[in-house]
Amino acid sequence: MNIRCAKPEDLMNMQHCNLLCLPENYQMKYYFYHGLSWPQLSYVAEDEKGNIVGYVLAKMEEDGEDLKHGHITSLAVKRSHRRLGLAQKLMDQASEAMVECFDAKYVSLHVRKSNRAALNLYKNSLKFETVEIEPKYYADGEDAYSMKRDLSEFSRRMKVPSKEQTEE
Amino acid sequence: MPSSNPLPPKENALFKRILRCYEQKQYKNGLKFAKQILSNPKFTEHGETLAMKGLTLNCLGRKEEAYEHVRKGLRNDLRSHVCWHVYGLLQRSDKKYDEAIKCYRNALKWEKDNIQILRDLSLLQIQMRDLEGYRDTRYQLLMLRPTQRASWIGYAMSFHLLEDYKNALNILETFLDQQQKGNNYDYEHSELLLYQNLVIQESGELQQALMHLENSQDQIVDKLTLKENLGDLNLRLQRYEKAARYYEELIRRNPENTFYYKKLIEARQLTDTYDILNFYTEYAELYPRAMPPQRLPLNIATDDQFVKLVDKYLRKGLRKGVPPLFVDLRSLYSDKGKVEAIEDLMMQYADALKQIGKFNASEVNNGPKEPASALLWVYYYLAQHFDYLEQTNRALIYIDAAIEHTPTLIELYVTKGRIYKHAGDPQEAFKWLDEAQGLDTADRYINSKCAKYMLRANNVREAEETCAKFTREGVSAMENLNEMQCMWFQTECALAYQRLGKYGEALKKCHEIDRHFSEIIEDQFDFHTYCMRKMTLRSYVGLLRLEDVLRGHPFYFKAARCAIEVYLHLFDEPLKDENAEQELSTGRTLLLF
Repeated sequence: MNIRCAKPEDLMNMQHCNLLCLPENYQMKYYFYHGLSWPQLSYVAEDEKGNIVGYVLAKMEEDGEDLKHGHITSLAVKRSHRRLGLAQKLMDQASEAMVECFDAKYVSLHVRKSNRAALNLYKNSLKFETVEIEPKYYADGEDAYSMKRDLSEFSRRMKVPSKEQTEE
Repeated sequence: MPSSNPLPPKENALFKRILRCYEQKQYKNGLKFAKQILSNPKFTEHGETLAMKGLTLNCLGRKEEAYEHVRKGLRNDLRSHVCWHVYGLLQRSDKKYDEAIKCYRNALKWEKDNIQILRDLSLLQIQMRDLEGYRDTRYQLLMLRPTQRASWIGYAMSFHLLEDYKNALNILETFLDQQQKGNNYDYEHSELLLYQNLVIQESGELQQALMHLENSQDQIVDKLTLKENLGDLNLRLQRYEKAARYYEELIRRNPENTFYYKKLIEARQLTDTYDILNFYTEYAELYPRAMPPQRLPLNIATDDQFVKLVDKYLRKGLRKGVPPLFVDLRSLYSDKGKVEAIEDLMMQYADALKQIGKFNASEVNNGPKEPASALLWVYYYLAQHFDYLEQTNRALIYIDAAIEHTPTLIELYVTKGRIYKHAGDPQEAFKWLDEAQGLDTADRYINSKCAKYMLRANNVREAEETCAKFTREGVSAMENLNEMQCMWFQTECALAYQRLGKYGEALKKCHEIDRHFSEIIEDQFDFHTYCMRKMTLRSYVGLLRLEDVLRGHPFYFKAARCAIEVYLHLFDEPLKDENAEQELSTGRTLLLF
């Protein structure tokens, strides 16, 4: 398995992975919108044949009112590739890029109330906190937890090696 | 060139309001103002008004009337750039791009410096990949608007796409020189520099590219791309030590990227297997949680060394319970020796685990027992192993043993289904996927796989009903899946219909897929302007190049192949009886399409 930043030619295969795994789907143009607005933020996990087995599709919220922050539009790992820790690794890469390229202070996402596996990942492995419940967020009427993760830890960690480098 | 039939001030004001309404999408009001002009007996035939009325009607979906009005308007005022521009826009909305380009050119004949028309023309030219035309139009736009950033970028890019690197780089440099220096550098500037570097690299001047990148380091915020390029350039220029340092840093940042390891090995000039294996050992210690330093050595190790490494790897996976262990190792199966080694080890694990709860019978006295689930994962692995080797019976024995061990594990039923699929029994395969799906109805992945197997078993309706559990309520699943461009489903559907001899239905699905591809090509349109604003030029060039070969995607190939087979079949054996003709009728309309 290989984890790398997504390229335009990955976007169609990310859509395919999304359609297989998740009920929230988007047309290609929305993937293009992500890939061409914030090319650094989306990541894929691929197998040795280059098939996409997981992805994170991410963006920046640029409404200006709030602190600058990233948002996870969609995250999926094929069931056939679970328990390799891919989701966490994808999320960490995307989060780091949000801080580095766009100075994000935190990253937010929505998760179905019933999706306990995802909830567990966000809460326990990735240290997301629940901000609020958004009633009937999903098309089928299910509530969503709105969650966020503070990224200041990333910006601190990133400053250290970059200093080292300038000294070299 | 003014219209040959200018309006007096009152009517002219009304005409301007039509234009404004069009821009603000207030089409009904636009029609009202058009009517006010046209109802004046002096202006019933006023060309530009008729044209604008037509364009407005088009936005309201009244296409036939739209064409009628626009054409009439144009006939009444052939020297009006507005009429030609409008006719171009109308054709553009109908995707008749070549026709639209001709119209814009006629419009420009009468009003050669009209920015809006030039912009519209340039968009069509880039969309149609008329690169030379695009370059000329971008030149005119630059001359007319030399202070705009997009003018420079667009002109430079036109040369880049024409592979005229020298001119592209000259323009970029001139533009960057004019930029104020010293202000705090931002994302857009950083993207522009990376784009400039891409052009230098593509021109083949690696040395220059490296210098450029080193000099602009501080202004580039995208450190990942920066380091990837610095590593790559140093490596290609045989500056191995420097290259190695960049790849070390890249691995520190993302130890899951297999490419970085390969490049670091190159940079360290390691060619001997022994050295490379040592290198991976070093990295496995540095990044104990990373997968590549543990997995990649298996690709190059041989014989005893391989056995030693794969033994460790397998035990770890089985102990922890990593379901994808087999799919992870599958690529090793091109090597017969490795397959045998893995099989021997797995058989040994199975025996020892059954007898003493250890991976090896000789380990009877050392350490604690393995978790009870280890045996399950061994069975699960062996089932997939023998399935891959096309030993169906042995595969079934192990998958049944696994199911007996843990009847609640859904993956097992999926695998059992897959074994039957590979053995050529799609009915039995689908039965087991249905079983799996019943155990976890909330998981779309299982649901999708189940639907796919239903289609393989030619149960189209059931497959649709299964998919409907995850599609939007209120629309049919077929419709929703089509709207969401769910091509795997549509392809499998087409193939099922083909097998069932429902050729019309099969072709319908193939053409739906073809339309997705047309749509995705259409999707480019908005990004031509958008990316110039956002400065995400590297990704934009990536998009253009992707779109150029879009129909090379396997989804398209599969659908096209199905359609071709059906058409050939219908040509060779035209259907005769009445039912069949009815069936074919769908196909015939598509033939004309």
